[in-house]
Amino acid sequence: MADPFNLLDSAALGRLSQLPLLARWPMEGSVSGHHKSPHRGSSVEFAEYRLYAPGDDIRRLDWRVFARTDRFYLKEFEAETNLRCYIALDCSGSMKFGSKFPYAKRLAATLAYLTVHQGDAVGVLCAGEDLAADVPPRRNPAHLKVVMETLANAEPRGETGLVGALHDLAEKIRRRALVIVISDFFCDLEPLLHCFQHLRFQKHDLALFQLLDRSELEFRFDRPIRFVDLEGSQSVVTEPAAIRDEYLSQFHQFLDALRVGCNEFSADYRQIVTDQDYEKVVADFLIQRSRQ
Amino acid sequence: MVHHFRGAINIAGHAPHGRARLLPGRPRFDRRFQSRPHLRVTFLQPILLFGLPLALIPVIIHLLNRMRHRPRAWAAMRFLISATRSSTSNTKLRQWLILLFRTLAVAFLILFLARPLAGGWLGWALSPAPDAIIILFDRSASMETRVGGASKREQALQFLASAAKPFEETSHLVLIDSATRQPIPFSKASSLAQMDAAKPSDAAADVPAMLRAAFDWLVDNRAGTAEIWIASDAQRSNWLPDDPRWKSVVAQFTGLSQKVRIRLLSLDQSPDANVSAQLREALRRSRNGGSELRLTVDLQRNRAAAATIPLTLTLDGARSEMDVAMDGQALRWRHKTDLGARSHGGWGGVALPADANNRDNVSYFVYGPETSATAAVVSDDLQTARILGFAAAGRDGQPAARIASVDAPTMDFQKLALIVWQAPLPAGPQAESLRSFVSEGGVVVFFPTGRPDAQQFAGMGWGGVENSVDKGSPFRLRRWNEDEGPLAKSDEHFSLPLAETSFSQRQLVAGQKDSLAAFDDGAAFLTRAVYGKGEVYFCSSLPDDRWSSLSDGPVLVPMLQRLIETGAQRLQPVSTISCGELSAADQALHWTSVDSPAPKDIRVEAGVYRSGDRLLAVNRPAAEDNPEIISLDDAKKLFGDLPLQTLQEQRTQFGQAQGEIWRVFLFIMLLTLIGEGFLILPSKPRPAQPPRKRNPAAAPETSAAR
Repeated sequence: MADPFNLLDSAALGRLSQLPLLARWPMEGSVSGHHKSPHRGSSVEFAEYRLYAPGDDIRRLDWRVFARTDRFYLKEFEAETNLRCYIALDCSGSMKFGSKFPYAKRLAATLAYLTVHQGDAVGVLCAGEDLAADVPPRRNPAHLKVVMETLANAEPRGETGLVGALHDLAEKIRRRALVIVISDFFCDLEPLLHCFQHLRFQKHDLALFQLLDRSELEFRFDRPIRFVDLEGSQSVVTEPAAIRDEYLSQFHQFLDALRVGCNEFSADYRQIVTDQDYEKVVADFLIQRSRQ
Repeated sequence: MVHHFRGAINIAGHAPHGRARLLPGRPRFDRRFQSRPHLRVTFLQPILLFGLPLALIPVIIHLLNRMRHRPRAWAAMRFLISATRSSTSNTKLRQWLILLFRTLAVAFLILFLARPLAGGWLGWALSPAPDAIIILFDRSASMETRVGGASKREQALQFLASAAKPFEETSHLVLIDSATRQPIPFSKASSLAQMDAAKPSDAAADVPAMLRAAFDWLVDNRAGTAEIWIASDAQRSNWLPDDPRWKSVVAQFTGLSQKVRIRLLSLDQSPDANVSAQLREALRRSRNGGSELRLTVDLQRNRAAAATIPLTLTLDGARSEMDVAMDGQALRWRHKTDLGARSHGGWGGVALPADANNRDNVSYFVYGPETSATAAVVSDDLQTARILGFAAAGRDGQPAARIASVDAPTMDFQKLALIVWQAPLPAGPQAESLRSFVSEGGVVVFFPTGRPDAQQFAGMGWGGVENSVDKGSPFRLRRWNEDEGPLAKSDEHFSLPLAETSFSQRQLVAGQKDSLAAFDDGAAFLTRAVYGKGEVYFCSSLPDDRWSSLSDGPVLVPMLQRLIETGAQRLQPVSTISCGELSAADQALHWTSVDSPAPKDIRVEAGVYRSGDRLLAVNRPAAEDNPEIISLDDAKKLFGDLPLQTLQEQRTQFGQAQGEIWRVFLFIMLLTLIGEGFLILPSKPRPAQPPRKRNPAAAPETSAAR
């Protein structure tokens, strides 16, 4: 069996590991970590003043404020917790096109490694025609091997089951987490946006990586071709030159609608073409998040 | 300007059950033929229609392309299907139209190459002029007959030029003359009269051969619709209505894909007073130590009243005038001219004064040098052979050589003028050699052997031997031909003493042809059969005392000497031919005109010509003097189903008019290609639709609700 860590590029990891993987919003972790928590806790970072209420810890009373105002105020401090990251990998047949799936696996593996490397928990969900694998998030470095193996063994086939898988995930995850979805999102848009909405409703940080092949974006073919569906047995013989304009129009309509929908739900949407350097893609992702 | 010729006859159109009117009048057309214009489309190159299935090539290519499309896995299938559906209606229609136009372009290309013809209004509307007009021009000697001041040839040229002028730009104009029968294209109708092929000639016309030449031109040049204009004086000897070639020629024209119309310009008017002279014979004979030239000329005229015809005789450039009394329409004029001691050959001519046709007023002759004509006697009877040998002695007085019958197969006939055969009739190769000798102009006279002989020669043979003792009375000659032949009167008009010649024995001649002398019981004494250029004689008795008194000489000697003279013509080189019959070998020689200072064309003009030492007299064919003409009814029958009209009739607009309509097909093909070109141009991109906005306040569907 091949080494599952072959999905990783150690040199790239070395460069990327300088950058933290941060959630955009406070997370609810089980342990102390680097990420903001929605809750107040005892840390060194002052957050705000609050009026004293009977039962509060009087050790947190700020006497200087009392001296100034003759009122009792408590100091609130930021609570830091760890990040739980779910990486949902689309394993439908459409991901077999070109180098999308290997690119997706490498992307997922890199993000998983970085997450574990910074002490956060990562889990992976391979959503295909049926739920191929569901690895819950763990902080344990040994868990990374399980994640890598899961990713390495994932194979794209059949119709997409991503929407159902994400809905289930949204219901399953009790506490806020970072959900990274890596897919081409070639499915019905409305249900897809519903599941994004579901995830966001559960206050998860949603990051979407839409992987597209260059030929899907440009559709440059010079002779009639029999196009065979990767997710079924359907095939169409057509003159690409004759329908190119219409295809691109509809395709870009879909992409625009997807982008708009993601923006509506504050999902972090990124369109990735598989001929782009994945290290740069990950770096841009991490840098952008660290600036927010 | 169109001339309406006096006597020109209009004939009806194609009316298989009707008869043409022979009187001048309005043309009468077959109404059945006129009322139903033909719309049938035929093709000049129908074999190309087998290529019509090639029009399916675009379809086949389209299907093959669809079958061998590269399969390609595709992820964004929904967009592809959606795009295909969106553009299906217009795209499919466009693709079907492209396929249709390509198929039509190939189909119309093939139809265009097959050269379609359409009859009726379609052909008239699209192509009213024939593709080719072939003028068969009779310029034989009889066409020089003058009627109303101009010769028939000149009148024909004038009419043809005016008739052809409207077609200068639309049709190929070709002239085929009667003398050379070589197709000569010309572009300007006005140039017709100046063409060499339209000048007068002395050669006879051969209308079936001219039609054959026209057919060959049509086939070789792949002409479309055609009209053949025949300008002729309808002389029977030119049209040759009994010639079997008519059927094959008409069948060839009928078998053409394109319709060919025949238009006839018949110039059959009767001429004014005309006399023609035709040389029959120019014979050099030895006489009294010298020689004389014996001329035989046939004079023919179209008037019967007695008249004196002035005749000019030219002999080696010297002219002499003489008057010939003529009573009736035909006269065989004989004349002897003393050549004196001259031994060389020469030439001359006989000419008449100008009349309606100057072309038939002159006839030329050439006479050869003195030759020593000899004879040979084939006989096993020494006595008879000796007598025959003396009777057939040459000019030097030497008797003719005797050859035994066993040696006859090895005889050399080359230098002999006469063979006297008193032996069993020849058979096998020997007979063949003898026939060849006779056909070249030699003379053979057979004398009986007294024995039965089953063989025949030239259709004649020997019957039984009869003895006058058995009959009880001697055989007597009752009649003989004294006008011409070996028993004719002498130059002094003395008869040969045939009546005084006694015959006691004779052997009957079987299968006799021309009996030149007969016994009183009707049995032939001397018969003659013409064989090729020579003659074969059978004499039923022998110059033997047991047979007859022919050995006395006054009958036998002149008879055999005259036969030697006749046979001597064979030894002369060919000296007289008909115009147009120059052999291929002689055509390769260079000939100069002797009788005229102006150069003449030996192929088409009568005259005396010299090539080296040879002299050749070229005369118009004797048939040209035959005034018999062919009626237009008979002419129409010769052409069978081919439409025949006179050139003066108005051109019919419908019915048999056919036009090539390939231009239409070419035009349609170009239109389809242009249409296909427009259709394959890339279409404008459709504007993209704006994305639909979602309501962010809407509650998401939960998995339970879903």
